[in-house]
Amino acid sequence: MEEACIRQARLVEDAELAWHPVARPEAWPDPLAFLDGVQRSELVAYAGAAPLVVAQVAAAVRERRDRRLATVLEARRTLLLGRPEAIAAAGDLPSGLDTVALPTDEPPHPVRDLVNAARALDRARGALELTLGDRYRSRSDGWLLIDGALSDSPVWAADRRMIAVSKSHATLPFDGSDLERFLRLPMSHRTSIYAPQTRSLAPVRQWALRLWPWEGKDVFHGLVRVEVAPENATPELADMFSRRLLAERAPISTPDHRWDRLVYGIHSVERYLRAAAGSLA
Amino acid sequence: MAHPPPPLGRVVATELKPSTPHQFHFWTARDTPIGIGAIVRVEEGGRVVYGVVTDGFAYSDLVTPMHAVIGADGDPVAAGAEPSVRPEIRLFTAAVLRQIPEEPLQPVPLGPVWLASDADVVLALRMDAYTGGERPTGVPVGLYAAGGLESPVYLDCDFLLGPEAAHLNITGVSGLATKTSAVEFLLGSIFQTFPRHKGTVAALCFNVKGPDLCFLDRAAVLTDEDRRQYARLGLRPEPFGDVRYYAPFKADGVNLNTLRTNDALAANTQALVWGLREVLDYAEVVLNRDDVDAKADAFIDFLADRVVGRDYQDDMLRGRPFQVQSFADLEEFFRAIFDFMEALGKGGEVWKTHHLATIRKVRNRLSNISTRSKGLVTDDGVAQDLPWGAFADRSVHVVDVAGLDPLAQDLVFARVVSKLREHLERRDLGVDHVVVFVDELNKYAPADGAETYVRKMLLDLSERGRYLGLVLFSAQQFRSQVQRRVVGNAGTGVFGRMDMDELATPSYATLSPATKIKLATLPKGELMLRHPHFTQPIFVRFPRPAVLGSREGMDRFPPAPDLPFADAVARQLRALDRRAGTDAVRALVEGRREDDVRRALAATRRERPDDALAFFRACLGRRVGAEVVTSRRPIPAMRRGDDQDYGF
Repeated sequence: MEEACIRQARLVEDAELAWHPVARPEAWPDPLAFLDGVQRSELVAYAGAAPLVVAQVAAAVRERRDRRLATVLEARRTLLLGRPEAIAAAGDLPSGLDTVALPTDEPPHPVRDLVNAARALDRARGALELTLGDRYRSRSDGWLLIDGALSDSPVWAADRRMIAVSKSHATLPFDGSDLERFLRLPMSHRTSIYAPQTRSLAPVRQWALRLWPWEGKDVFHGLVRVEVAPENATPELADMFSRRLLAERAPISTPDHRWDRLVYGIHSVERYLRAAAGSLA
Repeated sequence: MAHPPPPLGRVVATELKPSTPHQFHFWTARDTPIGIGAIVRVEEGGRVVYGVVTDGFAYSDLVTPMHAVIGADGDPVAAGAEPSVRPEIRLFTAAVLRQIPEEPLQPVPLGPVWLASDADVVLALRMDAYTGGERPTGVPVGLYAAGGLESPVYLDCDFLLGPEAAHLNITGVSGLATKTSAVEFLLGSIFQTFPRHKGTVAALCFNVKGPDLCFLDRAAVLTDEDRRQYARLGLRPEPFGDVRYYAPFKADGVNLNTLRTNDALAANTQALVWGLREVLDYAEVVLNRDDVDAKADAFIDFLADRVVGRDYQDDMLRGRPFQVQSFADLEEFFRAIFDFMEALGKGGEVWKTHHLATIRKVRNRLSNISTRSKGLVTDDGVAQDLPWGAFADRSVHVVDVAGLDPLAQDLVFARVVSKLREHLERRDLGVDHVVVFVDELNKYAPADGAETYVRKMLLDLSERGRYLGLVLFSAQQFRSQVQRRVVGNAGTGVFGRMDMDELATPSYATLSPATKIKLATLPKGELMLRHPHFTQPIFVRFPRPAVLGSREGMDRFPPAPDLPFADAVARQLRALDRRAGTDAVRALVEGRREDDVRRALAATRRERPDDALAFFRACLGRRVGAEVVTSRRPIPAMRRGDDQDYGF
């Protein structure tokens, strides 16, 4: 789970954090593709005190044309995660099972090893998503909407036809009164564009967008962060992207509990991957 | 080599919707050709399952309609403009038609689903048991069509015409050319494909309304599509080759009571006339409706056994014997009894153990028959009947009772079916099987109401006719209004477009809602079939019958108007002999008593001589010249004064 923190961002629009109305929703032109990945894991054994985890990671791109979504790319990996000695103790492994060695700089600790396995799994899923995103870009110059961030890849961070939507707010870009202003963003408004402080080297730009009214609910209800390449971070383009994202509120991504922040196309990718995983298990 | 077609669906089973040995569910692509009534094949792990689609479902990933409202901000227009369309499922439910191997009977496996091919349809409907081999018994009934495939469907004539289940019943709303057209097509199919090794077959149809069956011998104008369907079924699109029509006269005794009176159709249209003997044998048909009791029955038996058609001698009634051949003779006989009993005065209430009231009741009922059935029943005793004993193979006999009084219709049904039965029992009808077609079955064998002779007769026919080769093809608008045992005995059921109210009755409880909807909206020329070999109802389409329909028939062969007496006689004679001119007949008939003319005409029709006019003239006999009655001198009245001489 991501650690909650504040990483102070730098405003690139407005002198102070401001709210900008986004006008009416606007349809995204065809084709628009959605990229996301899923993962699942199961503790299957212990070699001594060291856990062995079998996991699956999968990613897919579903492209929308004429309002219909279809899977155009997908990739899956089945992984065995564990300390090298635990993996060796497992003996002959079935074909198609990739191994991921967990760090051995500390002695085996089942809980710590499971945390390490979860991080490794996150990285494996992220890598699979990156691979798939690159493959999509190599075959299409259409718009690609990503669940998460562009900043994990310098290539993506510079891609003017990619846009990322983040539902997670563990890392917040402001504090104090700006944070309060950030969190109280009204429905169909965006914040000023800012440059987030990222751990990666790839520079991107962000703004927050309120998809659904939060009043009477949680302050995060309907609040997403939109991430684009710096070249796309003009106020006009931010408004346009925001209008298009507002249009993506429907259909609603129920029954997912994150429906207020989950774009239907991404929801469709997740559901596709989870449904198909059943037959691969 | 052609590639096998890809599967169109996949069986799915969940805890809530599991596969069973009799039912399974499968999903398809959104734009599937599969619909209600489609036959599909599932093949998995060495097991092949055939099923027919009985229901369909579609839904999206929308959890609740409220989410659609929220997503569209309550605006239905916006809902249609959502950037992404939710995925939809097409989920179908199919009822199992057949499993191979049949044992052990197991739930349907989770395998791929294909649309059934021609060969699959044969297996699915178990038609392989009777359409192949050295002695096939398949009769084409229509084309099963789905997804661009089209396969002939056959009925097993053993189960259609006996000796197995036998009988056929058709239900459908009126006016959609379903019931009559289906029977016309099926009879044509039977006549063309009924195997020789099964014997001979004829049909007897009762035309009960309008011109429905009046043009079976006339070819229809068919479309190319109709001809293609005939070719696909292996049938020739041609009208019936041997059709004979029988219709009673109207009350005038010379104009036929039918819409088939166009001169061009006269050659095979003949009169149906019955005399006292024909009626008396079936008197109970028309007497059982009222209060005729055992005593009346006994007197009728006495008349039938001892009087009618015999020399009956009773010196108390009159010196010479009675020769009762006609209703007129019978009336004379009754008159003699009444005169005798009146002469007896007090104590004259019983004649030969029959009470006077009983005799009067029977006399009233019998005269009522001759009155209400005038035109069918003749007073002169000369009958013209169906060719009992001379039914030809593949012949159709149409008895037109459309214009008859219901009482007379009952009489015709009862006598014709009873005669068929008698002859088939004796094996001397001329054919081995007879299909009897009765429309408006709800009228003749209603579910409710008093028991009638006709209903009992139809029930008996449906329960025992198949052993004799007597097969009932019946039709009605509402199956639920027909005696259950009559329709229940029909081995083959045909359903055209149905009324939703009718479909809501318990008789249709086994059909799925989707099947009911399909039945309620069936287009012309499509039917749902039940047949003993088919474990589920099957939808088929059939081409337009190759015979002229009633509407076109009436346009092409409009009925001749009723003619004056002499002209009508001339037309009847011309049907026998084209040399019989109207003027000559008029001259012969002029001044004659109509009864004498009718009698001579009946004799001519019966004999069918080469020179009909000469025969008719001879039958009429010598014309009796008019007698000039001269006035006689009256006897003068007695003068009043004369009486006084006697001292009164």
